[in-house]
Parts: sequence; C-alpha cells; structure tokens
Amino acid sequence: MFDLLVTGFSIVFTPSTFLFIVGGTIIGVIFGAMPGVSASMAVALALPFAYAMKPIVAIAFLVSVYCASITGGGITAILFKIPGTPSSAPTTFDGYPMAQRGEAGKALGYSLVASAFGGLVAAFAMALISPQLAAVALKFGPSELFAVSFLGLSVLSCLDSDNIVKTLISGCIGLFLATIGMDPMLGIARFTFGSSTLLSGIEMIPVMIGLFAVTEVLKQTNKQKKIDVEKDSTAKGGDTSAKLPSIKELWETKWTMVRASVLGTVVGILPGAGATIASFLAYAIEKKVSKHPELLGTGIPDGIVASEAANNGATGGAMVPLLSLGIPGGNAAAIMMTALVIQGVQVGPLLIKQQPEYLASVFASMFVTNIVMVIVSMGIARVFAKILSVPYSILGPVIVILATIGAYATNNNTGDVVLMVAAGIIGYLFSKLKYNSAALVLGLVLGQMCESNFRRAYTLKNGSIVGIFASPITFIIVAACVVMLVYPFVKPLISKKKAA
Amino acid sequence: MDILFSAFLIIAGAGLFAMIGADPAAAASETELGAAFWPQIVLAIMIVLSVVNIITNVKKMKAEGGSITSGIDVAGFLKSKLFIGMIIVAVMALILPMIGFIPTCIIFLMVYGILLKAPNIPKLAIAVVLITIVIYVLFQGALDIMLPRGTGVFRSFALAVESILPF
Repeated sequence: MFDLLVTGFSIVFTPSTFLFIVGGTIIGVIFGAMPGVSASMAVALALPFAYAMKPIVAIAFLVSVYCASITGGGITAILFKIPGTPSSAPTTFDGYPMAQRGEAGKALGYSLVASAFGGLVAAFAMALISPQLAAVALKFGPSELFAVSFLGLSVLSCLDSDNIVKTLISGCIGLFLATIGMDPMLGIARFTFGSSTLLSGIEMIPVMIGLFAVTEVLKQTNKQKKIDVEKDSTAKGGDTSAKLPSIKELWETKWTMVRASVLGTVVGILPGAGATIASFLAYAIEKKVSKHPELLGTGIPDGIVASEAANNGATGGAMVPLLSLGIPGGNAAAIMMTALVIQGVQVGPLLIKQQPEYLASVFASMFVTNIVMVIVSMGIARVFAKILSVPYSILGPVIVILATIGAYATNNNTGDVVLMVAAGIIGYLFSKLKYNSAALVLGLVLGQMCESNFRRAYTLKNGSIVGIFASPITFIIVAACVVMLVYPFVKPLISKKKAA
Repeated sequence: MDILFSAFLIIAGAGLFAMIGADPAAAASETELGAAFWPQIVLAIMIVLSVVNIITNVKKMKAEGGSITSGIDVAGFLKSKLFIGMIIVAVMALILPMIGFIPTCIIFLMVYGILLKAPNIPKLAIAVVLITIVIYVLFQGALDIMLPRGTGVFRSFALAVESILPF
C-alpha cells in the first residue's frame, strides 16, 4: 500500500501533472460556483481537454475538476442562497445567515476547510481500505438502501423542532411531488392529468433553486424601506475577504468535521445513496449532538462544517464503488467512469492488480486537489464575495436571472423555469406559514429512492413486509429512524413527567 | 391562513388518494405493491398531520380570540411590492420562450431594479446592459449552454448574436 502512495505522489508531483491539477481545480471551483453547472456538467465540459493529455495526467485533471466543482457549489449556497447541487442545500441554513451578518468571508473559510478535510478523509479511505469498503457496500441490497434513504428522511424531525408537524407535512408534500410522473417499477403514469410534460416527473433542481433563491429575493422585495434595502446589501458585503478562520476557531469544530467527514465517506460509498443524504444526515446528527442545537440554522460554523465536510466526503466515497466495483454512485461519478474508461482504465475489482498506477493517480490527485482547492477557492471566493457589495436593486434581479439559467440548463427546458418560479412563490407562502422548504426538498430528493427500493425489496422477499425488515442492517437502521422520528413527540411528555 | 392551507391539503390529499386508488393499473399484486401503494401512504400521513395541525391551530385561535381569516389582508397584498415582484417573475418565466434570453434579461433586470427602487435609473440601465452581455457571453459562449432564443424576429436576433460570439 505504501508503494501505491509513493507511486501516486511521484505521478502527481511531476510539474506538468501538478499544473493540470491546479488548472483543473480552478476550472472546477469556477464551474461549481456557477448556478446551473453541476459537478457532472463540469466534468463533461472538462472532458474534451483531457483527450489531448496522457491517460494518467487526464485522470488527475478530471479528478481535480470533479472534487473542486462540489466545493464550488458551496460558494453560491453561502453568498446567494443558490445551492449548486442538492447536497449544498444544508450549507445555506447557516452559511447564508452568516453572509447576511457580514461574515461571508468566515463562512466561506469554514466551508473550504471543511470541504478539504472531508475530501482528504475520503481519499485516504479510498486508498487504504477500498476493497474492504466495497465489500461492505455490496451487502447493501434494496431493503438496506430503503433503510438508508428512510434514515435520510428521518432528518425531517431535526430540521425545525419548533414546528415538527409542519416540517413533516412539508416532507410529505416533497414525497408526494416525487411520485408525480412514471411509476419507477411498472411505468404507470401517476398524477399526470394527461400531461406529457408531467410524465418525466417534477425536476428537483428547479424546485430547489426556486424554493431557496427566488423565495429569498421575494422576501427582500417585501422589505418596504428603500434605504434599508440599499443599506442591507452594502452591509452584507462588509466582510468580502475569504479569510480562513483562525486555528482556534477551526479547532472548536474538530469533532463536527471528523464526524461529518466519516459519515459522508461511508454514505458516499453506498451505491445510489450519495452526497445529499450525507449532508442532510450530517446536519441532523449535528443538531442531535450539539451542545447548542437551537443555534443551528441561525448562522453558526458547525452547520456549514457538517454539511460541507459530509458532501465532499461523499464525493470521495463515491469513488470507492466506482473504482473497486465499477459502480458509479451518481451522475458525476458516471461521467467520471466514462472518462476513465475512455482513457483506458479498467474500473472494477482488477484495477488494483492490473493498473495500480491509475488508482494511485486518482488517490494522489484527490489528495493534492483538496489542499490546492483551499488556496484556489479563497481567491475565487474573494471575487464572488465582492459581488455582495453590489446594491440589492441590481443583485436581487441578477440572482433571479442566474437561478433561471440554473433551472433552464438542467434540461434546456423553459418549462423548468416556470416550475422554478412556482416553487419560489410557494416557498414564500411556506416561509410565511412556517412550513419548511428544506424538508420539501429532502422529500423530493429521497422520495423515489425510498419507494423504488422498498417495492424492489418487497418483490425480492416474495411479498413479505416482515421479510424486508428481517435483515439486521435494515432493522437497526429503521429502528434508529423510528427513534429519531418519534423522539420529538415523546420529548415534551418526558419533560412534563419529570417536571411533575 | 394556516388553517385554510391545511384544509386545502386535506381536500387535495383526499382527492388524490381516491384518484390513484381508482386506477386499476396501479393496484397491488401478490408480489408487487402496485403504483398506488406509496403515494397513498404518503397522502394518508399528510392528511393526518394536516388534521393535527388544524386542531392545534383552532385551539390556539380560540385561546387568542382570533378567527380563521384573521391576519389575511388580500387588498394590502395585491397592492404590495411583493405581489408585483411575483407578477414580474412569473411574466419573465412566461415570456422567456417567446422573446428569448437577451430581451427577457434586459427587461427583467430593468423592471425589477425599478421595483426595488434603484436610486439612479440611467446607471441601472447601463449596468443592466453590461450584466446581460457578461452573463450571455459566459453561459452561451464559454460554457456552451444553449439559452432560449425566442421565436420569430427574436430568434433571428439571437442567431445573429450567436454568430458574432468569439467562442
């Protein structure tokens, strides 16, 4: 294993390869920070450049684009409340309030360091215990994956403990929206009302952008005082440097960073689970174990660190089944796999035996990218943070236009822009009535995964509901979910009894 | 307002529950739960929670001496900047496929900027044109994202602009 690491670093620290990694990191962060350019699109856009490179250099370059683009998504989530990917959504909970308070630089600093840490943990996991982790991931069948997605849903109970019923209703609305379109198992049209547009279902990205970005602009529009609006926008850009938090401040988030990175890596390894469940789960766990859970969501570093360390950990974790088993965990991983195969890499169990230099190159480039990324991202984030000093009369409409491009670019469909606007208006109604937009997004993201795995497990167990929960892994995870969902209702009763 | 919204969710949820239940293709078989199973579970939970929400709100309302419609000011809302903002954003989404990205972007940035009371209109106009150019060149040109061209004369205009892009 030590030889593998040495080989990897000797490849990566070749001057030309290192320069391509730095270039890939810059491209990745910029692409990731742009609304509408997802990690998968960033890798796809970088692919033509890789054709002219040697295979090992190309792999290092593409890995750096892939890792950096996920981190870039956190920049817009913090500054404009536009999560680049669903996995960046929890970053907005604390990142955006910090930016609003004029602490954009600090929020970005926490985000970048946590992302790098999460990425490094995942890179080491990939290099050191990839085959073992992949073997564990293979034990996860439909019933276990249903349990994992259900665990993701149980996060609902933690999102807003003051309005638990409304949060659960919001989650149910998201789950219902996920059922619109073709049924995942039998291909039967559901709730389409004869519309062919609805057959493909409700797109997640436009809904998410609408609920977060458009709703926020509408909220700012509702501020009546002209002077306040202008003053607010200037104040927001007060701290426009992306300075790193001090060592002491970072040290205070050490356990959050470790927890979220390990959790993100583990969840990322599970085929099909992905960074979204990882970041929401990490946020929920933070809320459970934090000494000051009531402050999460008001703009504290722990929330940003949990979300960003977990989603970057999951990104690296997704490379484990990709390289060891040839199973891509998501869209971006699938494009990465295509790129690797084009370059002659035989992903799968034989990779480590037949082409160890490629595995070494992936590991070393992930390692270097995550360090270079902090330096590069700080420079880029500094430019982005300056945008906050633009008066809101210009910045607000520009956010809507960027959100429009983000929604449109998903499928090159103007219908998605209409969907985004509808989601934005509904999001405003939600915030007025104290419902929870994040819960709706979570339901929409996890709905189909939850349903299809549950039904697949039911069929595999020959129509036995009990059989689905018979697996020890499923049973333990589902039991944990039930505790998480029921606890908020039981907690006041326990407190009452204690008081009596 | 909250009670009305919950009531809407109950009625809509019940209607959708019955609708999917009435579809014979969505029925369960011996080893397949059917297409109706999951949505019905979700809708049932949503209905129950909405009922709980209504009960909680009615209790609260009685304690505070309010009414179902208290806090709703339709006339005030229709006159508010928020409502106008919603209309502008909705119109932007609807005209985008018709007139294309460039005119939509310029009109939207200008109108919304005025709504947010931009202090200097000529400066705003210059900023709007510059921003539109930057965004267009970046996304349509550098990133190769095909932005909407519109129809008729707007399409011809978009094609002409695309032909002069350096990328």
